[in-house]
Amino acid sequence: MNVDITGLTRRFGRHQAVAGVDLQAGPGVFGLLGPNGAGKTTLLRMMATVIPPSAGRLRLLDRDPGAYGPRREVRRRLGYLPQNLGYYPGFTVAEFVEYFALLKEMPAARVPAAVATAIERVDLGDRARAKLRTLSGGMLRRVGVAQAIVNEPELLLLDEPTAGLDPEQRVRFRALLRELAQQATVVVSTHLVEDVGAACSQVALMDQGRIVFQGTPAELMARGTEQGTGDAPLERGYTAVLAAARS
Amino acid sequence: MNGPPPDVDLGRVWISVAAQVWHRRPSRLERVATRLLRSPGLARALLTTPSLLLPWLIASVVVLAAGAAATLSSGQPVTALLAPAVAAAAIAYSYGPGIDPAWELSCSMAVSDRMVLLARALAVFAVNAVLGLAASAVSAVSAAAAVPASGAAAAVTFGWLIPMTAVCAFALAVATVTRSASAGAAAGVAAWLITVLSGRVASGRFGTAATDPVLFLPYLAVGAGCAAIALYASRIPGGTRP
Repeated sequence: MNVDITGLTRRFGRHQAVAGVDLQAGPGVFGLLGPNGAGKTTLLRMMATVIPPSAGRLRLLDRDPGAYGPRREVRRRLGYLPQNLGYYPGFTVAEFVEYFALLKEMPAARVPAAVATAIERVDLGDRARAKLRTLSGGMLRRVGVAQAIVNEPELLLLDEPTAGLDPEQRVRFRALLRELAQQATVVVSTHLVEDVGAACSQVALMDQGRIVFQGTPAELMARGTEQGTGDAPLERGYTAVLAAARS
Repeated sequence: MNGPPPDVDLGRVWISVAAQVWHRRPSRLERVATRLLRSPGLARALLTTPSLLLPWLIASVVVLAAGAAATLSSGQPVTALLAPAVAAAAIAYSYGPGIDPAWELSCSMAVSDRMVLLARALAVFAVNAVLGLAASAVSAVSAAAAVPASGAAAAVTFGWLIPMTAVCAFALAVATVTRSASAGAAAGVAAWLITVLSGRVASGRFGTAATDPVLFLPYLAVGAGCAAIALYASRIPGGTRP
């Protein structure tokens, strides 16, 4: 398993953002759904080794990221797109992606081709030498995805990757996710249930720091037949599971 | 018009071309830094330090040159008093979430943020020490040409390096703990100002804070303590903030 989590907890002062999550994921696209404040981003940040857990066991790519050496090795093989992508306005697209390729300790000789490939995969070839400050929100999101995939990660963590993308780009992006997931574990946190239905093989639904559902998108849809509300079957499943968890 | 031969992968050809066209050639300085640090990523991170970029360096040179001119005209050790404050501001703006828009991403990189902290802090300190020494040396040489040199000239030229170490470590610790470069810079400059004014009140001379050897040991203790705090704060990624 590329992700093996047991009883993972994260507190911020008195607030418990993630409360004893168990999760296992192998290659494929794993969707993380949930309302605002459910703990999705905190869980993803722990998996990205940005913040340590307060309690519980976290193993990534068969390593314990709590120790320096394994954490460094995990980070070399990790791709991460944060919810709020900070960027350097004066960098070009290629410079930005190259910078993070170097920080991921990719062999320097491999970096130029890897950068070009990543930029082409997110359809930004025609803007590769444009300054980041000149790009639209959707393009910046794609730059963020390019830096995340530049090292061909075995574990790819994407927080709201389709935010700001137009429908055409979202369709292309889902295809890219499916392609990446043939080799890697891709964990996608999103509010958009249609992304989950279209791209994910497994899905978990979080609420108040806990996972209240885990299964396939079809299984989540099946939960919506009785009491869920929404326009699409997945939405009905989503709301039904949340209602059941809160009752 | 004929298409490409069937055994030619145009996509692959394009990636090879794009890789060459888009690749940013490292500067000579970056190549030297890569060799010294043995890490292309760390070298690139070092050269993107905000307080090592040209506009900042030019501003530092202008401030220290003005200090050197003021030293010559007033006879007061203005350069020695300015250098620690300039360095404290520079070091606060060298590292951390307060100045790095991509901080969250940087915290997930194999080149650890702590290594970036160390490399940047040392480089900024060294650059500012060199700039300050140059300004001090100009002041001292010019003063010696006018008045025969004394042992005090050497103290004024080099003595401020020790308080500069303490003030820089303090600014870095505050910037790291508060996650704000501005807070670090303000705290460093304020602490140095208070120290200088206290020295003025106690001894009647402005230069006491920079040149009195009695203060060197406390400065070193403060510097070591603050450096330890900065390292500890950077050891816990994310702190306790959501």
